[in-house]
Amino acid sequence: MSEENERPENRLRKELPEEVPARAPEPASEQPAQAPLTGRDRLVKGIWPPRVSRAQLIVALLLFGLGFGLAVQVASNSDSDSALRGARQEDLVRILDELDSRTQRLEDEKQGLEKQSSELQSSSDQAAEARKQTAEKEKQLGILAGTVAAQGPGITMTIEDTKGTVKADMLLDTIQELRAAGAEAIQVDGVRVVAGTYFTDSGKSVAVDGNKINAPYRFKVIGKPQDLEPALNIPGGVVQTLEKEQATVTVEQSDKIVVDALRRAKRPDYARSSSQ
Amino acid sequence: MIAVLGLVVGVVAGLLVRPEVPAVVEPYLPIAVVAALDAVFGGLRAMLDGIFDDKVFVVSFLSNVVVAALIVFLGDKLGVGAQLSTGVVVVLGIRIFSNAAAIRRHVFRA
Repeated sequence: MSEENERPENRLRKELPEEVPARAPEPASEQPAQAPLTGRDRLVKGIWPPRVSRAQLIVALLLFGLGFGLAVQVASNSDSDSALRGARQEDLVRILDELDSRTQRLEDEKQGLEKQSSELQSSSDQAAEARKQTAEKEKQLGILAGTVAAQGPGITMTIEDTKGTVKADMLLDTIQELRAAGAEAIQVDGVRVVAGTYFTDSGKSVAVDGNKINAPYRFKVIGKPQDLEPALNIPGGVVQTLEKEQATVTVEQSDKIVVDALRRAKRPDYARSSSQ
Repeated sequence: MIAVLGLVVGVVAGLLVRPEVPAVVEPYLPIAVVAALDAVFGGLRAMLDGIFDDKVFVVSFLSNVVVAALIVFLGDKLGVGAQLSTGVVVVLGIRIFSNAAAIRRHVFRA
């Protein structure tokens, strides 16, 4: 049936070959669709699947170089000095000038500050020195005023007065004689002798600055022993005068006399230092 | 694919190694990089056009780099290095843009 049918068909359709061209256009239309391969297709084809060919390797090598150079350049450009890298010459000169003047200004400021610092240093040194000297002076004056204890070479003089004949003026003479001989600190029976010290008669004994003292009167004197002792022993001097009054005087030199009787420093009510 | 890999590996290597750029090459490196970029865009466009040829790409890549460096070198010698490198960058930038436009038309059909 089919063969028969085909034959008649073939025979009948002499014009059928016209359909062949109709079939032909289909493959023909497919071919042009493949030929104008779009850019996108080529891109996809180039990327996937990866093919190892000479061209690909060479291009990869060149692109490696490009990427390397790019990364290096970017890295070196993003360094800290990148701000100056792209600057023009005039800008660089201006920046340099500014930096120079700024350096100059800072240098001046630094010098000023250093000068100030050295001034402060020296003034603080001076202040420390002044404080030290003041402290020194305070001690010296304290010895004179009797506010601090003193020690040093000197003599001890003991006046034995069994008959009560020694009067205040004799003790005062003694003090003055000692002072004239260079005594620096004196105490009598536990009473410090200072500039304002006074002696008064008090019955059979004597009072020093209102403090009654009894014989024997012990003088502790700091000063040069070789000066003090002769000053007391000169003919017609203190010792002779006292011995004339039946008193016994003993003078002992010593390398270490401690004058430890103290006076409280009194603030004067009216007198003020005129140096301030 | 391998070419893209090469680019990526190059960037990574440059970032990792961080070599000191020699002072002699320093002024030419940026221009050379831009010129190479131009060559790469040209090559990409040629590939999309279907006329890519590796020999042409290699020659254009290398010659671009060399000529760009040469122009900068010459400009430095003439005392117009800054202006000339600006000019080179402008020209290469225009070419890159036109190539990018062609690539865009291929890829996005727009």
